[in-house]
Amino acid sequence: MKLLTTLAWRNLWRNKRRTLITISSVLFAVFLAIMFLSMEQGSYERMIDSMVKYSTGYIQIQDVLYDDEPSIDNTMVFDEDIELLLNRYDEEISYYVPRLQNFVLVATENTTRGSMLIGIYPEKEKKLNDMTDDIVEGTYLEPGDDGLLIAEGLANILNAGLGDTLVLLGQGFHGTTAAGLYPITGIVDLKVPEINNNTIYMSLEAAQWFYAADERLTAIIVMPENPKRTNQLAGKISDEIDSEWYNVLTWEEMLEDLLKLMKFDMAGTMVLMIILYIVIAFGLFGTILMMMLERKREFALLFSLGMKRSKLAAICFMESVFITIIGVISGIIVSIPVVAYFYHNPIVLAGDMAEAIGEYGFEPILPFSADPSVFYNQALIVLVLSILIGLYPVYKVFKMRIMDVKS
Amino acid sequence: MKTVIKTTDLTKIYNSSVAPVKAVDKVNLEFGEGEFTAIVGPSGSGKTTFLNLIGGLDKPTEGHVMIDDTDISNMKESKLFDFRLRNIGFVFQSYNLIPVLTAKENVSFIMLLQKESKAKMEKRAVEMLEQVGLSEKVDVRPSKLSGGQQQRVAVARALASKPKFVLADEPTANLDTESAFNLLDIMSRLNKEENITLIFSTHDQRVINRARRVITLVDGAVSKDETFDR
Repeated sequence: MKLLTTLAWRNLWRNKRRTLITISSVLFAVFLAIMFLSMEQGSYERMIDSMVKYSTGYIQIQDVLYDDEPSIDNTMVFDEDIELLLNRYDEEISYYVPRLQNFVLVATENTTRGSMLIGIYPEKEKKLNDMTDDIVEGTYLEPGDDGLLIAEGLANILNAGLGDTLVLLGQGFHGTTAAGLYPITGIVDLKVPEINNNTIYMSLEAAQWFYAADERLTAIIVMPENPKRTNQLAGKISDEIDSEWYNVLTWEEMLEDLLKLMKFDMAGTMVLMIILYIVIAFGLFGTILMMMLERKREFALLFSLGMKRSKLAAICFMESVFITIIGVISGIIVSIPVVAYFYHNPIVLAGDMAEAIGEYGFEPILPFSADPSVFYNQALIVLVLSILIGLYPVYKVFKMRIMDVKS
Repeated sequence: MKTVIKTTDLTKIYNSSVAPVKAVDKVNLEFGEGEFTAIVGPSGSGKTTFLNLIGGLDKPTEGHVMIDDTDISNMKESKLFDFRLRNIGFVFQSYNLIPVLTAKENVSFIMLLQKESKAKMEKRAVEMLEQVGLSEKVDVRPSKLSGGQQQRVAVARALASKPKFVLADEPTANLDTESAFNLLDIMSRLNKEENITLIFSTHDQRVINRARRVITLVDGAVSKDETFDR
């Protein structure tokens, strides 16, 4: 094996310039592919993270009817059984957050708008999405607070500021009218435009009073210790909870439309990737083909000396894999610092582009993902490609007739 | 003298698109242990084809090649590779060495394929390079050697694994007079010292003058078989 490896390795450097050009093409393609994927995955991660933080959480326990008909009438009571159940999985659950939310009409003197009014436990909610850092004006909510924490986008739409009073009007539990005047005690920047333009927080007690839904919740948000085990944890809770009354949903089920959109968007990137992979494949194939053609008589010599076809095929195969491995590793090494830089300093979009992205409800920034899968997926794809290309010389070596290549 | 190679009605016909070509025509020959034979003849007389057939590089259309008691004419390819590795040494006119290996590695190459121990292999390679006068060039790659030196490395490699016989296809064709004489001196000496059978195909009178047996092929058939006391 050492002999074969030595021969393959030294053969690579017989034509240094050609080998370096091929390695560079692999490097460049891997670098570009990593950049594209990192940017795309980074945007998705950010989007999902924001949606999970501000909206759905990883797992929600709801009333069994709520998902089909999200009405205040289909709320649930956080009873002892559920508490016991959640305590049983204490090691797998980081924390849980109760919420009561419904749509309301919110009005100022001149403007009225439909918005989501969310009743929260301020301290527990802080664990989920530490909004204190994003407070633009005023203060964060306190337990039992009667004031409102309003999203900055909505405040701008309503042209309302700190200390202003908002009129809230909605439907309460079992058809009661929910109405009240509430002062704005804080303004928070919720980052994701779709949420930032439509959200008001108030303390859970105040919300339950407002909706006349004492002790009731629309959902309990459960945050797992390990978000990667969300589905397993949701499955366990679902198996044990009384399914006649409760429904357990994961963020993937709740954000189904967003995930579909991401998959669709990913298809466009994949087309670009395929073009890159084709470029890599042709470059590599050209080199491997040249390396074969110019060494036909050498192959005849090796056959004559008694080297078996399988060994010669292994040498040719290793040559293609070596070029790829060097190219892939170099591509990854070059891309790591670039990805790391943009991971910590996302590209901030401005002007028309920022506006266009904002209209879709997304943050106008291009964050990069530093997830290891961005790197090793490229390595694997290009390696599989090189293995496929490496099979060509293997095939040729097994088909080669000594007398054809000797003369 | 023990017979190493025996051919019986050895025939090779190439099916050219125009008309079949009989490159070797019913050749019956025996080569004894330690012989120094030159196969001569004009271009196209079948010298190289004959060497390819007895070296197991090509299959005969008819007839047989016996090496000791083994018929290699119909041997399976995988067995033939192994047979060549253990029994036959080759020296070609050009493309003789593996360019990415040093002189010592080239000489060790066959022994490496034979899975000899590293110590034995290195000792024998250095010894053979000394015998061909290249002890100073042990770690030099072929591109840094002259044509004559490259052929000497090829001879050292062919003999290093002590094969039953060595086939040399026009080994002096690309060499100047001094290098050719030098190579022939070495091969003659090793032929005598190691008692290895040498079979050359050649046009070169310098080789013919050294050979103790000269076989002339014309149109693939043996036209003359002479022995000399040299």
